[in-house]
Amino acid sequence: MESVLTINNLTKKYGRLTAVNNLSLDVKRGDVFGILGPNGSGKTTTLGILLDVIKRTSGDFQWFDKPPTKEMRKRIGAILETPIFYPYLSATKNLEIVAKIKGAPLSNIDPVLKKVELYERKDDKFRTFSLGMKQRLSIASALVCDPEVMILDEPTNGLDPQGIAEIRELIKGIAADGKTIILASHLLDEVQKVCTHFAVLKKGNLLYTGLVDDIDKGIVNVEVASEETTLKEVLESCPFVEKVKEEDGKYVAQLSDDKQAMDINKYLFEHGIGVSHLLTQKKSLEKQFLELLAESETV
Amino acid sequence: MNLIKLLKIDLIKLSNYRAFWVLNILYGLLIVGIPAGVIEFLKWLDRIGEDFSEFNPMKIPVLHFPDIWQNTTYVYTWLKIFMAIIIVISISNEFSYKTVRQNIIDGFSRLDFLMSKLATIFVMSFASSLLVLITCLLTGLIYTPEFEFGDVFNGVEFVGAYFIDLFGFLVFAFFMTVLMKRSALTVFMLLIYRPVELIFISNLPRQLEFLGDYFPLQAMSNMIEVPFPRYAFQEIQDYVVMPFVGVSLLWIGILIYGIYSKLKSSDL
Repeated sequence: MESVLTINNLTKKYGRLTAVNNLSLDVKRGDVFGILGPNGSGKTTTLGILLDVIKRTSGDFQWFDKPPTKEMRKRIGAILETPIFYPYLSATKNLEIVAKIKGAPLSNIDPVLKKVELYERKDDKFRTFSLGMKQRLSIASALVCDPEVMILDEPTNGLDPQGIAEIRELIKGIAADGKTIILASHLLDEVQKVCTHFAVLKKGNLLYTGLVDDIDKGIVNVEVASEETTLKEVLESCPFVEKVKEEDGKYVAQLSDDKQAMDINKYLFEHGIGVSHLLTQKKSLEKQFLELLAESETV
Repeated sequence: MNLIKLLKIDLIKLSNYRAFWVLNILYGLLIVGIPAGVIEFLKWLDRIGEDFSEFNPMKIPVLHFPDIWQNTTYVYTWLKIFMAIIIVISISNEFSYKTVRQNIIDGFSRLDFLMSKLATIFVMSFASSLLVLITCLLTGLIYTPEFEFGDVFNGVEFVGAYFIDLFGFLVFAFFMTVLMKRSALTVFMLLIYRPVELIFISNLPRQLEFLGDYFPLQAMSNMIEVPFPRYAFQEIQDYVVMPFVGVSLLWIGILIYGIYSKLKSSDL
C-alpha cells in the first residue's frame, strides 16, 4: 500500500539530550497510527520535525513519498500539544486564517464547525471557549482543508470523560471516512480504542511497532487454581507451558504453540487435576506497554 | 504565496484586535494634532504679545511652504516609537500565542510569515506617510500667507524620507521582536537602543569617528536634518541627504535578512 509517511533514522538532539534517537517508521494510507509514550518520550518533538517547526539534527522523512515542502503541509491537518488560535478572534475568523494559508475554500468552514458542534458559537471569541470546545475547534481546523492526513497530539488531554468520549467518536468517524490519522498519546487505552497500528516511544527510542490487533495474539496467559497441591509441578511439566508464576494463590501459566485455556484444562484433567478456577487473561495494551517500558529499563 | 494574499491573511489577524486599531488611531491623531497644536500655540503667543510687540508670531514660517515639509517630517520621526509598539505587540503575540508555529504547521513557509508581516509594516508606513502628506498639504495651504503653486511641492521628498525612516524603524522593531520574543522586553530595548547608539557613537576613537554616521538609526535620522536652527539664522541642509537614503535602505535589507536567518534557523 502507498506510504503516507516514511521516517528514516530521524534524530533530534538538544545539546547533550537526545529527544529523538534514530527513529524509523512507516505509515500507510488509511492507517490510524498511534504513537504511544510517556510524557517527554519525544512524541511532540517528532511531530514538530515532521511539520517543519522543529529542526532535525539528522535523518530524513518523506510525506507522500516526496521530500517535505510547505505544499505538503497544506494537505495535512495538524494540531500539536494544545489548541493554538488567536484568542481575540472568533472561531470563524480563526478558521478563515487556516483556510487561507492552506488555500482551502472558505465554504469549508461552516460544515466543519457543524461537524464538531461549534456552529452556534462560531462568532464567539476563542478565549471564551471551554477546553473541550477548544479541542473540538482544533479538530475543525485540522479538517478545514479536507486533509489526506490528520495529526493529533494528545487530543483528549485535560478533558472530562464526556469530552473524551466525544472526541474519540469524532476521531473514529474521521477514520471511517478513510483518512490517515497519526495520533500521539500517553493514554494506552485511547490508542487501543482508536488506532489500527501503534508504535511505542521512550526517551526518543522506538521500543515497538505493530498492529493493535496483534496485541491479543501470540502469548496467552491463563490463570489456574486448584485444590490439588501438585498443580504447580504438573503445570511446569506441561510441554506447552513456558512459564509459571504465582499470583494471589493462583498460578499464571504462559502458554506457547497457540494453545488455549481449553488445552491446559484438558492436560490438567488427564493428569488427575480438577481445576476450580480457569481464566484467560486478556492482554491489554497497558500491560504490554508497561512490559515494554520495564524491558527497556533493564537493558 | 503572493504578497497581496499574505497581506490579507495578516490583516484578518489584526482585524478584530482592538489594541491595534486604538494605537493606530492615536498615532493618526498625533500626526494631525501636532500642526494644529503648533498653530494654536502661535495664535496664543500672538494674543499675549499683541499689546507690547510689533512682532507677529504667525509670520514665523514654520508651517509655511516650503519649510513645513522638513519641519513636520522631522518632528514626526520622533513619533515612530508609538507605531513600533504596535508592531512589537502584534508580532510578539504570534510568539507568545504560538500562532507562528501553527501558521507554519498549516502551510506557511518561514519566508511567508516574514513577508506577511513586512507587507503589513509597508502598508502601515505607507498609510502614515499619506496622512502626513495630506496633513502638511492642508496645513500649508491654509496658513502660508502667499505662495506660488511651484512652492507647494518644493520639499515633498521629505515625506519620502519620512516613509523610509518609519519603515526602517518598524523593520528594526520586527528584528528586535524576533530576537527577544517578549513584548515588554522588546519595547524597553527599543527605547534604550537609540541613546545607547548615540553614546557609543560619541565615544568612538578619532580614527573611527566617520563610522558614527553609518550606524542604523543614526543613518536613518541623517536623512532629515534638524531644521529649526535655520530660524536662528544658521545654515542647514534643507534637502533630503541622499547618501543616507542609500545607507538606510541597505540597513533595511540587512535587517530583513537578519530576521529571515533567525526565523529559518530556530525551532518554533
